[in-house]
Amino acid sequence: MPLQNISSQPRFEPGAPTEYGRQALDEQFSMAYEELRRLASSVKRGDAANTLSPTALVNEAWLRLANAPAVRAQSPLHFRRIAARAMRQVLIEAARRRDAQKRGGEMVFVTFDDGFTEPLVSPQELLALDTALSELASLDVRQAEIVEARFFGGLEMREIAAELAVSEATVMRDWRAARAWLGQRLGR
Amino acid sequence: MDSARWQRIQTIFHDAADLSPSERAAFVRMHCDGDDALAAEILGMLRHDAADGSVLDQNVAMAANGVLAGSDAVASQFGPYRIVRVLGEGGMGIVYLAERTDLHTRVAIKVLRDAWLSPARRERFAAEQRTLAQLNHPWIARFYDASVLPDGTPYFVMEYIEGIPLTEYCADKKCTIEQRLQLFRQICEAVQHAHSHAVIHRDLKPSNILVKEDGSVRLLDFGIARQMESLGVEVDQTITGLRLMTPAYASPEQVRGDRIGISTDVYSLGVILYELLAGAHPFDLSNLTPAEAASIIATHDPGKPSAAVRRSAAPHSGAAALSRSAWADLDVLCVTAMHKDPQRRYRSVEALIRDVDHYLRAEPLEARPESRRYRAGKFVQRHRRAAAGIAAAVVLMIAMATFFMLRLARARDAAIAQAARVQRIQGFMTSLFQGGDPSAGPDNNLRVVTMVDRGLQQAQSLNADPEVQAELYETLGGLYEKLGKLDEANLLLNKALDLHRSLYGADSTQAGETLVALGALRDDQAQLPEAERLVREGLAIEERHLPPGHPTVVKATTALGKVLEDRGSYAAAIATLNDAVKTQPRDAPPTPEFAAALYELANCQFYAGHYDTAEALNQRLLPIDRQLYGDRHPRVADVLVNLGAIRHDLGHYPEAEPFERQALEIVQRWYGNDHPETASDLTMLARTLVFEGRYDEATALLQQSLVIKERVYGPVHPAVASSLNELGNTAMRQGKYDLAAKYFTRMADIYHAIYGEQHYLLGIALSNLAGAYAGKQDWPRAEALFRQAVQIFTKTQSADHINTGIARIKLGRTLLRERRYAEAQAESLAGYEILSKQLAPGASWLVNARRDLVEEYTVLQRPEDAQRFRAELAAASLSSAVQSSGK
Repeated sequence: MPLQNISSQPRFEPGAPTEYGRQALDEQFSMAYEELRRLASSVKRGDAANTLSPTALVNEAWLRLANAPAVRAQSPLHFRRIAARAMRQVLIEAARRRDAQKRGGEMVFVTFDDGFTEPLVSPQELLALDTALSELASLDVRQAEIVEARFFGGLEMREIAAELAVSEATVMRDWRAARAWLGQRLGR
Repeated sequence: MDSARWQRIQTIFHDAADLSPSERAAFVRMHCDGDDALAAEILGMLRHDAADGSVLDQNVAMAANGVLAGSDAVASQFGPYRIVRVLGEGGMGIVYLAERTDLHTRVAIKVLRDAWLSPARRERFAAEQRTLAQLNHPWIARFYDASVLPDGTPYFVMEYIEGIPLTEYCADKKCTIEQRLQLFRQICEAVQHAHSHAVIHRDLKPSNILVKEDGSVRLLDFGIARQMESLGVEVDQTITGLRLMTPAYASPEQVRGDRIGISTDVYSLGVILYELLAGAHPFDLSNLTPAEAASIIATHDPGKPSAAVRRSAAPHSGAAALSRSAWADLDVLCVTAMHKDPQRRYRSVEALIRDVDHYLRAEPLEARPESRRYRAGKFVQRHRRAAAGIAAAVVLMIAMATFFMLRLARARDAAIAQAARVQRIQGFMTSLFQGGDPSAGPDNNLRVVTMVDRGLQQAQSLNADPEVQAELYETLGGLYEKLGKLDEANLLLNKALDLHRSLYGADSTQAGETLVALGALRDDQAQLPEAERLVREGLAIEERHLPPGHPTVVKATTALGKVLEDRGSYAAAIATLNDAVKTQPRDAPPTPEFAAALYELANCQFYAGHYDTAEALNQRLLPIDRQLYGDRHPRVADVLVNLGAIRHDLGHYPEAEPFERQALEIVQRWYGNDHPETASDLTMLARTLVFEGRYDEATALLQQSLVIKERVYGPVHPAVASSLNELGNTAMRQGKYDLAAKYFTRMADIYHAIYGEQHYLLGIALSNLAGAYAGKQDWPRAEALFRQAVQIFTKTQSADHINTGIARIKLGRTLLRERRYAEAQAESLAGYEILSKQLAPGASWLVNARRDLVEEYTVLQRPEDAQRFRAELAAASLSSAVQSSGK
């Protein structure tokens, strides 16, 4: 239960500048890694050939984070929100690429998939989600942040509440409406 | 939609959601006041609220799987290779087993998946490729080839290893401790090889080590390896490297994010050794978060493998057979390798290997604390059979026993002395390579100076062992010469010479070899007469004691040839080097010494202007060097540079460029970006770019090169002059004559200081300086300098040398501008006749000469002659037009 570790960390006010040393930064990375990796590898456990891409994804999230100096001054929770943002970027980029490939691929491919693993989220759905989420952000920034932190970052409601400095009930309420509205938008 | 409407939607949505499903529709319609679109939206939301299976209910891993699963598809064909199956994943890529369609040989292909994700990933993949390409060791998976798929996905081809992961192999084969140590030793050698190329693996673990059926190991996956600038210099970790490694085998400094170095790999080797010996990992990290694991690695004591074996309910088969004292040694090996403080670990993998060997031969470990009793105990153990013999002898004949005991005592004392000596050498070497205080800052020069100071102090304390001391001095001298630390090299080589003379005599081959080494150093320092004297003296000694063709003699002869060449005495150098080359037997495989002689000979022929001979020699040398050193070795780059230089000098610039780029790529890969070799190849390439009119590219490369060279060689050195020359030429072509004159003046000063009045390089500097004055229309100064250059070229090269021709054409043009037409015509024509025999008709020198001649003959009222050159000009431009359109 990695999340318990995180909640036991001292909390920093969002936006308040904090002096974080290299070590603290590394701990943040290790937490983010742990969490993202756990998420990513849960898909096809036991199928070694297919675990790479989620790993690559996690690695990529780090790379983006490591290059952002702002990360160094953030609280652990805030850091995970940034991780969620990075995950979103990576996934959307991947989805765009997959989508484009499907429409104009000229290379001959062979796949080692058995074929029964119907993707649970298609690239098109992910792109639609991204668009809808941006629209939601224009209506209510906080709601969009909640969705991003929860879906792309795997944060718990309790953590999101702490991070956004609102009650958990408020987060639940915001999430429920946002989930329903986005579901409606995506037609699923 | 706006925020207000969205607020309204949410309010109605939440209120409706609290109602029972049957009441909702009416409630929503009532509160929407006839806004049907609003009502429809809210009702849709309510349906989705109640339903499962929203995208948002999936977790991000599902999404990742959805968009990235498709990239599991890869091309079935990679160049000549057909994919057979997936072997596994490693680092950033996936590894496939593939088969060459024509030859049916099997290879492993590593592909960077999702290459488009970021340049950083591509760069890391390329870095792995570079690392692997430069390592050439029987126990490291071999690199074959690299390319990209049509969609831009990079991949590389390497040796396919059919083997079992290390720990699995040991368990399957029920390996004894000795077999395990033999395997471990191989791993150490592979890692040591990487270290000798300044590569730290950073991710050593059993799953990266395969054992083949024949019992040989292969080290895989340099995916997060780090290229250091030089050994012994610790480096900061990158965030990626930090977290991509496997925590279980990571060192405390790795998990803390501190600086890492050789000792980081030593630590991981220690963990592997521990696991091999104890049959279990030193720390139980299962069910821990990485942060918790890191904290344990950084703070907990791993304990001894012997204790782990005693605790184990089912120790592995090899563990039981060992004595308590054997375990004590193995404990020392592991504990030393895994010490929390990097400074207290084995200083190098080599030191670790030595102690493994000591253990296997039942000799005292170097890592054991100084203890005479311990050493004596070891001694008895090693001579147990002899000791048993003594016991029998005591029974039979006491006198005999006494005799044996005396001999044994002497052997014991010798063993103790030997061990002490080995330990002192080790102490010396390690102190030299341990580097400075990491907090002292990144100044590498300072670091090296500190190293040398400390190393010399240590070496001086070895004066009870002058043979070892001499050997160390000579080796280190050579090392520093290669590092460009010429003063330090001089100090050490002189000490080595003194010691060799006093140990073996002034007429010994040892003294001879050191003299040659010292002469080669003087050559590097551009102290040429002294260099020649030293090399000749050394060679004479060697020739008295060794047969002709002996590698040591060939080496010395080549050194002499090089000195003569650097002095500009090409005829003498060519004769000397021909002697060296001729001693190579026709059917024997070429030796490195022979290849080196051939290389210098090709250089001399080139400098002497014998381009055809130089070309033939270089073409002969290229496959020899490739065979001796591999395709990506700097020696191969040297030959490629020379092939490029021939084309360059002949004016075939586009043909020269690919050779120069190939060479630069090899050298950068080998030495890194900040090395004199890289500087030199940067200069070569820039030179060609200048002639192709790509000035900005060229100037950037040249400035880079000049900075490197000044730092390494000091301000007065031919290498610096060479960069100044190119910078001057570039400035000239851009019309920056004052700047060019500044560069050329400095260049001439350097050559004058080194070579004196009569050397063709000084001629080139003066001729180029003259060109800058001509650019400024300072004709008298230009004329004087050109005349001086023509005189030097004629004397040091020959009257028909290409350089003489060029200088005369330039002199002709200067005279033409001074309106001294008759004198001008004589020089232009003389230059033209020299060059037209050697250059293609379209070469720019010839075109210039023809134009000048047309003008001169016209003024001198010799219309037929003018017409002749006008016609030649037209023919040449036509033929070059045909050539370029045909390409």
